[in-house]
Amino acid sequence: MSAVAAKPQAGGAMNPAAMAVGVVMLIILVGIGYAISPGLGLTALIGIIIGGVLIGFGTHFVPVGGAPAAMGQAPGIATGVAMLAAGAGLAGLFGGAWAAEQGLVVATVTGGVGGGLLMAITCMMVNFVYVFGMGIPSASGKVAKDPITGDTQAEFKSQGTEGHGLPFISFVGGVIGGFLGGAGGTLIYVQLLELYEASLPAMMGLPPAQVVPIAVAAAGMFAVGLFLVNAVLTAYNITGTIEGPHDPKFKRWPRAIVASAVASAMCGLVAILIVVPM
Amino acid sequence: MEQIVFGIGITALTGALATIAGSAEDTESNIGSQGDPNSQVQLAPQMGFVHRIFNKAVAGEPPAYGLWCALGAGLAWAFMAMQVNAVLAIVLGCVLAVFVQGVYATTAYLGRTASLAKFGQPVYVDVLKSMTSVTMAHAFIAIFSTVTLCHLINGALGHPFPLPLLGLIWGIALGAAGSATGNPYYGKERQYQNQKFGAGVPISASGNIVRYAEAGERNSLDNGFFTHKIGGSASGVCFGLIVFLEIWRTILFEQISAGWGAIIVGILMILIFTVIDRYIEVWARKNYGPYTEAKVAS
Repeated sequence: MSAVAAKPQAGGAMNPAAMAVGVVMLIILVGIGYAISPGLGLTALIGIIIGGVLIGFGTHFVPVGGAPAAMGQAPGIATGVAMLAAGAGLAGLFGGAWAAEQGLVVATVTGGVGGGLLMAITCMMVNFVYVFGMGIPSASGKVAKDPITGDTQAEFKSQGTEGHGLPFISFVGGVIGGFLGGAGGTLIYVQLLELYEASLPAMMGLPPAQVVPIAVAAAGMFAVGLFLVNAVLTAYNITGTIEGPHDPKFKRWPRAIVASAVASAMCGLVAILIVVPM
Repeated sequence: MEQIVFGIGITALTGALATIAGSAEDTESNIGSQGDPNSQVQLAPQMGFVHRIFNKAVAGEPPAYGLWCALGAGLAWAFMAMQVNAVLAIVLGCVLAVFVQGVYATTAYLGRTASLAKFGQPVYVDVLKSMTSVTMAHAFIAIFSTVTLCHLINGALGHPFPLPLLGLIWGIALGAAGSATGNPYYGKERQYQNQKFGAGVPISASGNIVRYAEAGERNSLDNGFFTHKIGGSASGVCFGLIVFLEIWRTILFEQISAGWGAIIVGILMILIFTVIDRYIEVWARKNYGPYTEAKVAS
């Protein structure tokens, strides 16, 4: 089929064969992880995969309007999907890393709340600028009524645009996306930190206290890298812009979950192999 | 107790630095025309509207600032490892990072504008000479403030991440906050000042950006002056709130209930911002009213 003949697929058109191949690849990668390090390494790999899936799924919630949003031509936040998700998720990772000593659950939730807080402040300020700086009310271009508040949308769209600003459902989507992204990034960081703190002393022949800075830096870099991998991968799935959970493009999330799981498993395997002797 | 008071003082300082950084970042990106609104600067000559606006979409603002802040923080870290005084090390690191920003700005302007030659868009050497240094100056303020707050977080508050990693994280967050908040004000309100106030730009008007000022042709310094008043200030408040509240809730409430105190306070703050956002949305619907009757709207 030529590019001209191909029909745009706004909804959740899935390719079962590709999904099956993805699942098989995931099983193979987890199997390799089990073969090289059945204990701590496998636990870390599974944590990384779950974290990556959380990031990939969470990115779908983030309302991003791209360039049209910057001219008030489309709803959403006027920046790129991957960039905004990364900003929120990494701010969450910052908070989560601080709380890493408090345990996995507290650190992960702290990271999630950090990401959600960044998105809440950003979304509120976006609406502030639209309303008080530009005199434009919020309006969705994808739904007739806001699914949460029930506010009608069509009559608040200015002429010649697809909507503008952030309707309440988009705000809530942004906070949920930031929460999932921050939690996913922190989960990856904490899993890698535990692995590195356990493996590096024997590998480098140093006392555990001396390897902590190296473990923290390496785990942090891998967490940031894995975050960007999953956010960019999801941005391709979204193809540019999305209004939030009410957007028809949101239905595409299953294929991003599979892709994120495979990509995270692949990258996670590399992160584990640097400390596991073959 | 002293430790908490010290932490609150550092938190306030980082919040102030973040506010300056957010404001300078947005103004830099508007003078340099970086981010999503630059799509119109690039599009205008293709629609027959030749202009004298700077055109340097090096990358999206978050990765660009992630690079520059990580570079500034990394170099400052290296200088500090060489026993250079921390203040001097941060200044030197940021100066070197700003030179990289200047190189990117120059090559981006020349490359992007040269690609529009077939549409009659000239490369204005005077624009390059007068605007690049101004974007570099604003970038220095943004990068210096961000690297300094990262140093405070790392050195005074004891965050485990090394300085370059903190620079990358907060640089990306700075770009995300600045572009999200400031872009619409530059993209809609300034570039399309010829369109109706209180409405989005019709898609059919794309590319028809305002090219003339009170006297002569509009330049990017005018854009920075205009957008700084609301877009820049809002971006500063946005990034300042993010940094301040994130650190404040950790410093004050992390020790309560084994970490759950900071989580509960964070959730409460999210709920407060949700209420404020909803109030703003409803206020706009009531005071501005619909554009059309609900029955005939499409």
